[in-house]
Amino acid sequence: MSERLSRARAVRLGWTFAAVTVLCALPFYLDAFWLRIGLFSMAAAVGAVGLGLLTGTAGQLSLGHAFFLAVGAYGYVWLAGEPGPGLPTAVAAVLAVLLAGAAGGLFSPVAGRVRGIYLGVATLALVFLGHHVLLTADSVTGGFNGRSVPPLEVGGFSFSSDSDLTLLGVPFGAEERLWYLGLALFAVTWFTACGLLRGRPGRALVALRDSETAAAVMGVDVSRYRSAAFVVSSMYAGLAGVMLALAFRRVVPDYFGLVLSVDYLAMIVIGGLGSVAGATAGAVFVTALPLLMTRYADQLPLVAAPGTTDGAVGPTEAARYLYGAAIVLTLLFAPDGLHGLVRRLRARLRHRLTAPPPADTASPSQPPTSAVRAKEPTP
Amino acid sequence: MTTRTTAPPPLTVTDVTVRFAGLTALDAVSFTVTPGSVHALIGPNGAGKSTCFNVLSGLCRPATGTVRLGDADLTRLAPHRIAALGVARTFQNIVTTRGTVADNLLLGRHALSRAGFTASALRLPHARREQREQLARACEAAELTGLGPHFDSPVALLSYGDRKRVEFARALCLEPSVLLLDEPVAGMNAAERARTVEVVQAVRAELGLSVVLVEHDMGLVMRLADEVTVLDFGRVIAHGTPDEVRRDPEVLRAYLGTGAETEDAA
Repeated sequence: MSERLSRARAVRLGWTFAAVTVLCALPFYLDAFWLRIGLFSMAAAVGAVGLGLLTGTAGQLSLGHAFFLAVGAYGYVWLAGEPGPGLPTAVAAVLAVLLAGAAGGLFSPVAGRVRGIYLGVATLALVFLGHHVLLTADSVTGGFNGRSVPPLEVGGFSFSSDSDLTLLGVPFGAEERLWYLGLALFAVTWFTACGLLRGRPGRALVALRDSETAAAVMGVDVSRYRSAAFVVSSMYAGLAGVMLALAFRRVVPDYFGLVLSVDYLAMIVIGGLGSVAGATAGAVFVTALPLLMTRYADQLPLVAAPGTTDGAVGPTEAARYLYGAAIVLTLLFAPDGLHGLVRRLRARLRHRLTAPPPADTASPSQPPTSAVRAKEPTP
Repeated sequence: MTTRTTAPPPLTVTDVTVRFAGLTALDAVSFTVTPGSVHALIGPNGAGKSTCFNVLSGLCRPATGTVRLGDADLTRLAPHRIAALGVARTFQNIVTTRGTVADNLLLGRHALSRAGFTASALRLPHARREQREQLARACEAAELTGLGPHFDSPVALLSYGDRKRVEFARALCLEPSVLLLDEPVAGMNAAERARTVEVVQAVRAELGLSVVLVEHDMGLVMRLADEVTVLDFGRVIAHGTPDEVRRDPEVLRAYLGTGAETEDAA
């Protein structure tokens, strides 16, 4: 048993190592377009992990994720920039994450009382409120035109193209540098979220989702855990907001609208509710697909070249159609999300590899007691 | 499972009344669960047995009356605080969470473990150590209830009887001093019933806890219970040892029918 366990662990370590190596090597081979897709995907993945924790694991529907992303993004810009306190950017980034967490904490009295679809509508109010504030509080948010984002600087190293840096013959601009920052932050997100989900808090949150009554009777402080889920989720959203701000280099109010919230919901549903890997896969899917389709749509049949208006479908519209179709197909053929799809494929592969001896001792599908259970009248 | 050195405190229910919009579900109900005994609550459907359990576990607040566990007043406490004091329960309709048997049993260890959000997220050494220890405890509870072979199986794949057992094991994981069992053998076949009775007797002997039992299976009640309280329309109509209750004319009229039928049910 322990031998098999340690072997599985070694395999997993091997895969992790390979994935990290490939991800670290990519900036040496990819141009800025692909790197930018990667940056947006990593930021979205962090945000999606946060929403997955709240909606997928703890079962609290939130349409307000865009609000907490905005708090993180604008919090960073204001804290690090002018006008604003002009703090060191690294400090500003950390404070922005905490600020988003505090915003989630402020909302938690509402979250503690309202459930299900009613909570969804209550969080919807946050998005409209946030959007209004972003548009009107000019001195902090820059109003309709937004604000430019000060580049992050850690220990004298700037994540921008200001200074020249060449590694192994590859010029390292803002995208390349931010790529590694994004990877590091995503790794932190993955590590902490998996720890949470597998640990005591994760089990308590799952219990809340499946039955609040059972959770309470087992000793889970229901209202406390409901609020905590909101705070933690908002902190991940805040971090994602900071990452997005750094990748965009400019924050504008219109980005943080209801559509963004819905995008994040789409990410966790497409990826598969309740898992970190699923949220990540969904985030990459929802972020990268429209960008890729817009870029390559002109190579598809029946799509007009950009700029021409001869009645054919424009590349942007075509990209939208394909994106929509991809979502519908995913939900039809992978109702438990990309994560579930991968898991099923892997199980089938393993089954085929071990097919000759069909005795699957690990399979619990036939509990021994069910064979002897007979119908019996209850007195 | 560690054996308690001291006897569990008595659970005292005094004059508890519960009303739901004009309907009196419990009417001045009083009884005391003697430490270390098996106390059965019986009565026809709608007699208020489950409401009584909900009051004991804090899911339902009585209009008047008190529930005390030793010196602690449970009447106004939130359910999770009552759980922390050592009152565990199972549900009539099985309420498990998705995930494996291990996940469910570890949930039962929630009140007895400490790791919070920060410690778990950063996987601090003490949180990981605690997780390992709790897993070992949960494994013991699974062995005790005969769930050992299913420890890593998803609960959804288990048979009905096994899922009832998961609830039972999860309640045991709380290391309770009072265990509330709501129809623990409903829907089980004879072998599974016998097995559950064995386990209840074993945990009572080993852990020295008090058990409050709601059950329709009269044979099982008569075999397991030290004391029986009979409810009818929210009122206590009889109280005593199984033999006394069995002979009580009021009980026979309200619930058991004739004596011959009682024997049949066994």
